[in-house]
Amino acid sequence: MSSHESFIRCRGVTKTYHKGNTPVTPLSALDLDVPRGTFLALMGPSGSGKTTLLNLIAGIDSPTSGSLHVGGVDIAKLKRGQLTKWRASHVGYIFQLYHLVPILSAFENVELPLLLAPLSRKERHRQVQVALELVGLGDRSDHRPSELSGGQEQRVAIARAIVANPALLVADEPTGDLDRESATQILNLLRELVREHGKTIVMVTHDPRAAAVADTVLHLEKDRLVEAADLNMQAA
Amino acid sequence: MIAKSFNIVLLAVKQLTRHRIRSLLTILGVAAGMFLFATVETMQGSLRRATQTTADDTTLVVYRDNRFCPATSRLPEHYESTIRKIEGVREVIPIQIVVNNCGASLDIIAFRGVPPDSLTKYAPQIQVLDGTVESWKQRSDAALLGRHFAARRGLKVGDRFDAAGVVVHVAGIIDSPEPQDNNVAYVHLPFLQQASRAGLGVVTQFNVRVTSAERLDPVAKEIDEYFRSEQAPTRTRPEKAFFADTAQELVELVGFTRWLGLGAVAAVLGLVANAVLLVVRARVKENAVLQTLGFGQRAIALLVAVEGVLLGLAGGVLGVLSALAFLRWQSITIGNEGVTLAIMPDLDVVLRGLLTAFALGLLASLYPAWQAARRPIVSSLRAV
Ligand SMILES: Nc1ncnc2c1ncn2[C@@H]1O[C@H](COP(=O)(O)OP(=O)(O)OP(=O)(O)O)[C@@H](O)[C@H]1O
Ligand SMILES: [Mg+2]
Repeated sequence: MSSHESFIRCRGVTKTYHKGNTPVTPLSALDLDVPRGTFLALMGPSGSGKTTLLNLIAGIDSPTSGSLHVGGVDIAKLKRGQLTKWRASHVGYIFQLYHLVPILSAFENVELPLLLAPLSRKERHRQVQVALELVGLGDRSDHRPSELSGGQEQRVAIARAIVANPALLVADEPTGDLDRESATQILNLLRELVREHGKTIVMVTHDPRAAAVADTVLHLEKDRLVEAADLNMQAA
Repeated sequence: MIAKSFNIVLLAVKQLTRHRIRSLLTILGVAAGMFLFATVETMQGSLRRATQTTADDTTLVVYRDNRFCPATSRLPEHYESTIRKIEGVREVIPIQIVVNNCGASLDIIAFRGVPPDSLTKYAPQIQVLDGTVESWKQRSDAALLGRHFAARRGLKVGDRFDAAGVVVHVAGIIDSPEPQDNNVAYVHLPFLQQASRAGLGVVTQFNVRVTSAERLDPVAKEIDEYFRSEQAPTRTRPEKAFFADTAQELVELVGFTRWLGLGAVAAVLGLVANAVLLVVRARVKENAVLQTLGFGQRAIALLVAVEGVLLGLAGGVLGVLSALAFLRWQSITIGNEGVTLAIMPDLDVVLRGLLTAFALGLLASLYPAWQAARRPIVSSLRAV
């Protein structure tokens, strides 16, 4: 993968947190390139900085130093307000625990990212319906999260992540809380989003079987990235 | 921008209506506070109207100097002809007042005895709801009752009733834009003089109408000057100043309720602030998730603030309107030293109540909104 065609390009990315007076540096001088249309799985022990890296790529946090280009924009240079606008149209975030708004129906949850977009009500509703159908829940629009299974909730969350049509999806252990069957469905869905819809996905996982679905698997160990050739073989 | 804000308001409405019990409890609490606030404001407003002289007030009250209760203010009725000669005086009406209670009281019965032919001059503003003025003129023991008075005592035309030792026959029920009129019984002066043992020729006060507001002071001075060395010296004041002086206890009492109103405001502020703060605490993660979806800090702050404002407004509407209904229905009157204060709400109180509720809702959610908006997304997502 040559860097000039990378969709995501990290150079010397360092992130330092301060817990009281002690600095914690989960990522230091990290380089990473992800070509457009890749399904990347990120593995590594707990505390190795996977979520931290994902948050930086998703633009909900900024690196302490280094450059972070996503789709040609150095998001490390954007201010909080600019990052917000950028997120709204460029990235969808999928969480381990779905994080749906409990009082809203599936439809209303998926609608959330579009509420601040300059769309007519009609167009907004059409996009929500398309997203829900894409995840196979077109008939569950009216259900509240509490009336859905974990797998269904995660599919609603995926619909919410793709409804504004971002090129990048990030997922933090999206199958970590699901049974095998639901997990397989979710992974197939993510796979389909890469193959059929050209999305780029960065997924954190602890599960080798989940990682096996990805195009590339990287291990984050002591803030270094290691390519997992053996897992990559399995995936192919 | 407007469409965005509208969507955020809608989202806030969903948050409120779908956490029904919690919203309802807060709204009821706010409503109780705003009920108290509106009631106190109504009392203050009614007192202000009754005691602050305005430019078009042209009535003076001549009372016995150094007396504060109608039972002890005794003036010779013949003063009338003397007062009538003073320049700038348009009308003089001798009045006998009999009350059942001189202290501050909620159930005051006040009789006003006026010369039968002067009633329409003394109170041109009254309207007869039931019965007629003619039938009142014809019977010496007839009474025209203010409608609140009649409602409070359950009296109607044709009834007889006895209060403060005076027995009268109800000849009519009247309504008047002047709140005091609605709480008194108008009777014939000679009848009341005899019934109250004051005796013929003795009155409680004179109401003097002058030709213009500028004449109030000079005429008052001249009257008091004239009777200074008489056996019954006078003290003459504009009607509303007379009210303020005479009903001292009442003025102090109502003035004190200001603090209750302030307390109510503080309680509402605390209640809404607490509710919104709890909401913000409970939604740390939810707000962080909204931000990952592209909601900015301003949108989050707006969402929180709208919720607080809606809680305040909903409680405000409920509290103010129920205060309005309560005060209209109950028609509360406080009496003191023979003057009565009708606690009547007006549009001004409604508007001020709603505005206050809005402002309190906003004020209460400013800090929580700021807190919610400034939390870093990542640490909110990590929070348990
Ligand atoms: N906001 C923060 N403030 C302080 N320290 C943080 C913060 N975020 C992460 N850390 C620290 O950075 C390190 C990496 O955290 P991170 O969540 O990225 O790990 P992870 O690889 O996702 O772990 P896991 O597999 O358990 O989810 C940890 O030591 C964590 O305590
Ligand atoms: Mg993690």
